[in-house]
Amino acid sequence: MTRQPTIPLTPVSRRGLLGALVAGAGALAAASVQAGLPASTGKSADTIDVLSPEEALAAYEAEIARLRATKVSGTPLDHLERMRAELLRALAKPVAERRWVMVIDLRACVGCHGCTIACVAENKLPPGVVYRPVIDEEIGRYPNVTRRFIPRPCMQCDNPPCTGVCPVSATFTNEHGVVEVDYEQCIGCRACIAACPYGARTFDFGYTYTADTTDPGVMFGADQAATYETVTTFEYGKAHARRNLHDSPVGNVRKCHFCMHRVLNGQLPACVTTCIGRATFFGDANDPDSLVSELIAKPNVMRLKEDLGTEPRVYYLQ
Amino acid sequence: EAPALELPLVDAANSIQTVCLQCNTGCGLKVKLIDGVAAKLEGNPYSPWTMEPPLPFSTPISASGSIDGALCPKGHAGIQTAYDPYRLMRVLKRKPGTPRGGGQWITIDFDQAITEIVEGGDLFGEGPVEGLRALYALKDAKLAKEMANAVNAILAARPEEKPALVEQFKRDFADHLDVLIDPDHPDLGPKNNQFAFVWGRLKNGRGDLVQRFVKKGFGSVNANGHTTVCQGSLYFTGKAMSEQFDPKTGKFSGGQKFYWQADLGNAEFVIFVGTNHFEANYGPTPQSPRITQGVINSRLRYVVLDPRLSKLASKAWKWLPIKPGTDAAFAMAMIRWIIEQQRYNTRFLAAANKAAAAANGEPSWTNATWLVKVKDGVPGKFLRASEIGLTTVVEETDAEGKKTKAYVTADGTRFSFDPFVALVNGVPTPIDPNDPEAAPVIGDLLVDTELNGIAVKSSLQVIYEAASTHTIEEWAAIADVKAEDIIEIAYEFTSHGTRAVADIHRGPSQHTNGFYTNFAFYTLNALIGNFDHRGGLIKPTTYDRLGTKAKGPFEVEKMTNGANVPFGIDLLRTNTAYEKSTLFNGYPARRPWFPLATDVYQEDIPSMGDAYPYQIKVAMFYMSAINYALPAAQTTIEILADPKKIPLIITSDVMVGETSTYADYIFPDLSFLERWEFHGSHPSVPWKVENIRQPAISLPNWPTVKVFGEEIPLSFEALVLAIAERLELPGFGPNGFGEGIPFTRPEHLYLKLAANIAFGEKEDGSDGVPPADYAELEVFRRARRFLPPSVFDEAKWRAAIGNDEQLWRQTVYVLNRGGRYQAYEKGWKGDLAGNPYAKQINLYQEKTATTINSMTGDHLIGYPTYIPAGLAADGTPIVDEGYDLHLVTYKEAMMAKARGIADYWLLALMPENAILINRLDAERLGLRNGDRVRISSASNPDGVWDLQNGTRKPMIGKVKVIEGIRPGVISFPLGWGHFASGASDIVIDGVTIPADPRRAAGIHANAAMRVDPVLGNVTLSDLVGGSAVFYDTKVKLERVG
Repeated sequence: MTRQPTIPLTPVSRRGLLGALVAGAGALAAASVQAGLPASTGKSADTIDVLSPEEALAAYEAEIARLRATKVSGTPLDHLERMRAELLRALAKPVAERRWVMVIDLRACVGCHGCTIACVAENKLPPGVVYRPVIDEEIGRYPNVTRRFIPRPCMQCDNPPCTGVCPVSATFTNEHGVVEVDYEQCIGCRACIAACPYGARTFDFGYTYTADTTDPGVMFGADQAATYETVTTFEYGKAHARRNLHDSPVGNVRKCHFCMHRVLNGQLPACVTTCIGRATFFGDANDPDSLVSELIAKPNVMRLKEDLGTEPRVYYLQ
Repeated sequence: EAPALELPLVDAANSIQTVCLQCNTGCGLKVKLIDGVAAKLEGNPYSPWTMEPPLPFSTPISASGSIDGALCPKGHAGIQTAYDPYRLMRVLKRKPGTPRGGGQWITIDFDQAITEIVEGGDLFGEGPVEGLRALYALKDAKLAKEMANAVNAILAARPEEKPALVEQFKRDFADHLDVLIDPDHPDLGPKNNQFAFVWGRLKNGRGDLVQRFVKKGFGSVNANGHTTVCQGSLYFTGKAMSEQFDPKTGKFSGGQKFYWQADLGNAEFVIFVGTNHFEANYGPTPQSPRITQGVINSRLRYVVLDPRLSKLASKAWKWLPIKPGTDAAFAMAMIRWIIEQQRYNTRFLAAANKAAAAANGEPSWTNATWLVKVKDGVPGKFLRASEIGLTTVVEETDAEGKKTKAYVTADGTRFSFDPFVALVNGVPTPIDPNDPEAAPVIGDLLVDTELNGIAVKSSLQVIYEAASTHTIEEWAAIADVKAEDIIEIAYEFTSHGTRAVADIHRGPSQHTNGFYTNFAFYTLNALIGNFDHRGGLIKPTTYDRLGTKAKGPFEVEKMTNGANVPFGIDLLRTNTAYEKSTLFNGYPARRPWFPLATDVYQEDIPSMGDAYPYQIKVAMFYMSAINYALPAAQTTIEILADPKKIPLIITSDVMVGETSTYADYIFPDLSFLERWEFHGSHPSVPWKVENIRQPAISLPNWPTVKVFGEEIPLSFEALVLAIAERLELPGFGPNGFGEGIPFTRPEHLYLKLAANIAFGEKEDGSDGVPPADYAELEVFRRARRFLPPSVFDEAKWRAAIGNDEQLWRQTVYVLNRGGRYQAYEKGWKGDLAGNPYAKQINLYQEKTATTINSMTGDHLIGYPTYIPAGLAADGTPIVDEGYDLHLVTYKEAMMAKARGIADYWLLALMPENAILINRLDAERLGLRNGDRVRISSASNPDGVWDLQNGTRKPMIGKVKVIEGIRPGVISFPLGWGHFASGASDIVIDGVTIPADPRRAAGIHANAAMRVDPVLGNVTLSDLVGGSAVFYDTKVKLERVG
C-alpha cells in the first residue's frame, strides 16, 4: 500500500493480475474469518499479497472446483468465472502458445446490445464508430416467425484481407493474433474499410456525443459532460487521451481488438464479461480443456463467409 | 511476461461498488474511476444480479478489482445519465408573470427558494400562494392522536350514527377546528394533508427519509408512489392473496404489497405471460442467462403469451400471440382442464392450515378446501363453525377480568375465534389457519353441498365453476388461440412437479381486468403447488435496514425527537372504504375509491384537479415523469398547468424533465451515481440481499448548500432538510435521532441503515459481517479520495454510526461490496426456496368479496375469473367505432421509460422508435416500412399532446412493418417522443437553453390511450388492483406527408 494512484497511469505493481489470481484464494482464507471478530483482525495489506502467483492460481482453481461441485442451481459456475480462470491459465504460457478465439452462441444472444455499448464504453467510441454491432433479423411469416440476433465483431482473420491494402503498414496482425491498427501510423485513407468483407472497420471523425448541446452554468454543460468521453482509454495497451491528437484514435480507422489491454491484465474482453445471455465466449483454443475448445468442436459451429478463406477467429454456434 | 500496460482500472482502489438505477432491477455496479471520473461501469461481481454464482462475499475487496460482472446496455450508459449536459445545477423558479409550462425560468438562491415555498406570498404576481408553513397546521401529536381516534370512531360507526359523532367531534375539538380541512368532514384530516408528496422512482433510504419528512414530520398522509403505472394490479393481487386471518379481529389483514415470480434458474417449464425478461422486467441482466442457459442445456422450455414477438418469445417452444386482455381466459381454460383431468397437486391443495402444510413439509398452504357460503349462487363469506353448530360459543372471563369468547367443539377443542370449516372425508371440520400446534386439516377439495340449510362450496369448487363457465374451445376462441395449444401447455405444465411455473408481470396487469387475470395465473401455480419451491414461485427477501429485528444498532424508526400523527382519508382514497367515510353519498362515488390498493399514480393529479376528496395546495414531485409516463397523460397536463387547481408545485429533478416543466420551483438532484439508496430485492431473487447505492462520483463544480449549519451537496436531501429546519419538523435537526444524535447530514440516516445491514438481524451480533481489515479500510478510503468533503469525510461518516470501531469496520465491509448478499447456496433448501413466503395463500378472498366497488355499488368477486378488458369506470364496455387497431406498448432493452433520453450511446442504437405493425395490417392500410403516420383514438381524435402552452405536439411516428406481431395489434416502445428533458428550448434568466433534437425524436403515443369516459380526466383503471391501463385502447393510423 505504498503507491499513490492519484495519477491515472501510475503502475499498479502487478496488483491487477495478482488481484485476479488471489480472488479465490482470498475467498478461502476469508471463509475462516468468523463474524464478530475483534475490531482488528491483525491483517495488513501486505498479508493479502503473500501468495505466489502459482499458489494463488492453485487456490483459485480449488475454489472453482468447489463451486463446480456445489450444484445448487442449473448453473454450477458462471461461464464468466470459468473463462476467467482459463484466461489466467493461458497467460501463464508463452505468447506464441496461445490462440485467442471468440465463440458466439446465437441461441443465447438475447439481442440486448449490451456488448455493443460495453465496447463503446470501454474504448470511448465516438459517434459513427462501432466495433461490435448486433444485427436483429426476423425469420419466417406470421404466425410462424422468430427473430435472430447476430453480434458481429472483427473476425481477427488469420488471413485478413484488410492488412495488405494498407499503404503505410499501419494495420497488421500482432503477436497475439489480433489485427491491430497503429494510431501513430494510420493516415486515415480508409482503404482497409473497403477491404474488410465483414464491415468491421469504421472511421473516427473526432466527433463527441455531447458537443453542441448546451453551455455550462445553470446546466452542467457540454464541456464538462465531455469529461467521460475524453477519459483515458487503453486500446492496444497504450494510454490514449482523446484530447491529444498525435497518438489519439481521432482521424484513424478503428476496429475491435479483442480488448487485449484487458486480456493481458487478466480480464475477459468487455463484450464477453458484459454478455447478459452468456452468448459470447473467449479463450485459448490451444488449451484443450478450455470452454472455447469445447464449443468449437460442436456440430452446430460455423464461421462467417468461410468461403473467402479469411480463416476467422470468431466462431458462431447456431 | 508483464502486459505492456497495467490498467489502473483493475485496482480495486479505483472503483466503488454501488447499484444501478437505469431501470429498477437493481444490478450491482462497479464504478471504475480515473481521477474521480466514472470511466466505465461494470457489473459488481459480488452481486448475484451480475454473476451466478457471484464472487463469494468473503472475497477480499483488493482481489475483486479485475473481476467484472455482466451488465446490460442501459447500465453501461449510466455514465451519461450522470454526466448529462442537461443536468440542472441551480434552483429554478417559474418566471413571475409567465404561465406554467411556458418554459420561462429564473435562477434563485437555494435559501431564498426555501423561504418562498415555506412562507408563501405573492410569488408569481398572481396573488397570494400558501406556503408549507400554512399547511403545517396540526403539530401537537397528542391532539392529533385524539382526533385520529375520534375519526376512527366516526369511520367505524353505522351511517345513521355518523352525523351525531361528527357533531360530537366538533364539540370535543371546538378550539382546534381551524387545523382541519373541513370540520364537517373530520375524516379528511388536518390541513397538513393538503401537502402531497408524489414520487416516481423512490427507493428505500430516500423512501425512509420521505416517510420521516412527510408523515412523521409534516403530518400528512399523502406520500404516494407510482406503483400502478408499472404493475400495480400484480402487487395488489399479491396483497389480497397474502392477507392473513387475524384471530383477534376475526378479519383478514396484513397482506403484503408484493408479488411472486419464477425461480428461473431452476424451472423446467415456464409460461411467460406479458413479461419480457430479455428487454424489461427485473431484468435482462440477472434473468437472461437463467433462461438462455436453461434452454441450451435442455433444462428449460417455455411458452410466451404476448401479442408481440418479444425477444424472449424468439427462443420459446411456443409463442402464442394472444388477443390482448384475454390472458385470464387462457388461464381459466387451463384451470378447467387441470381440475377435470385431476392433474393438480392434491397434497398441496388439501392442506387447509399451517399445521397440515407442515406435516407435508410445505412452508405455505391455501384455503382451497375452506367452505364458502353461497347465497343466490353468489359466493360470499367463509362458513364459520358456529353457523353449523360445529362449535358452541362460551363466554369467559380471563385472569384480568376481561370478557372473551371461546368457540368449543363437541370434543372439547377450544378456539379463540370462530373457526373456518372444511369437509374431511365428508365430515365438517374446524380449521385453525395459523397455529402450528393446531390439528392438521386435510380437506376435501371439490365440495358443493348444504350444511344446516346453508349452501356451501369449497374454494376450489368455486374456482372450478368459474373455469367451467366456458368450454376449453370457447375459452380458446375468446383468447384467439388454439384449444390444442392450451391442452398441450396444460399437460406440460402439470408434468414437471413443482418445477413448472406461470410467470406474470406487467402485461396481464395493465388492463382493466388485471387483478383477476393475475389471480387466475397465481391460482394456476397453486394447482401444481409450486409456491416456495425451487423452480417454482419465490418471493423477495432483504436484510433489515431499519434495525427492527436486531433491536439495533439503530432502531431508526424509533429514533426521533417526537413525531406527528398523520390521519385522514388520503388523496387517492386507498386507506378508507367509501361507505365508511362521511363523503358517502350513494353510488357512483365522485371518483373511484381503492380499498384494496395504494399508490394509485393515475389518480394523483386528476384528484387534485377535482379537489376530491380535498384540495392539494402544495404538491411535491420526486423523480416523477407523471405527465409523460401515464396512459392518457395529456389529461394531467391540463391540471398541472392551472395554478388555481394546484397552487404550488415543487419538483426534485436531475433536469428540467416533463413534470418539472409544469413546476413552480425545481430543485436539482443528484444522479444515482452520486447518492445513497437501499435498492432492496425482487421476487425473482432467491437470496436474502440488500443492495446499497452510495456516492461513487461527484460532478465537477457541483454546488453545495448549508442546512443546519452543515455543508452538503445540493440534492433532494438538502431540500428536505432545509424545509425541516425552517418548520422545525420533529425527526430532524441536532436532536433528530434523539437527544444529542443529529440528523443534519444525509449520511446520518443512510449510514445507520448500512450499519444495521452489516450488523445483521440477531441481537447478539452473531449475524454480522466480518469487520474490514486494514487492507479493506485502505481500499475504502482510497477509492473515495476524489469525493469532496461535503460528500465523504471519514470522521463524519464514523460519527454517523456513533464512532463504534467494530461497527464502522463492518459497515465498510458491506459498503466495499455494494451491499450484503447471502451465500449462494442459501437460496434453496433442497427442493424448497431458501427464503420461503411460508404463509397462507388465499385462493378465495373473503376480504375482496366483501369489498364494494365505489362506482357501481356492487360487491367485488372473491375468486379468479375472466372479466372482459376495456371497461369504463362504471363497468360498461367501451366501443370505439372506427378505431380498429389495438394499441399496446413494450420496452426496448436499450431504453428506459422516462429517463434514458440522456443516454446518447443508447440513442445512437435506436435514434427513434417506431410503431410496429403486422404486414397484413400494413398492406390493408397501404402502409410501407418507414411511412410516417399519426396515431389517434376516440379520446384523442386529433392525435396530439396538448402541452397547454400553445404547443400541440402531434403523435407522429414511423411504422415498422414486421411479421412478429398479432394482426390488429400495433405496438411502440416507450421512452422516446419527449417534450421536455432537453427536448424543448427553455429560457433561463433570459438566456435560451437550446433543445437537442436527438432528445425529441420518435413518438410517445400514451396520449392516444383511452381516457375514461365516465371520469373524463384520467386513463382507464383496474378499479380492484389499481393499475393504470396501457393495453385496452383502440386507435387508428393515418399516413402523413
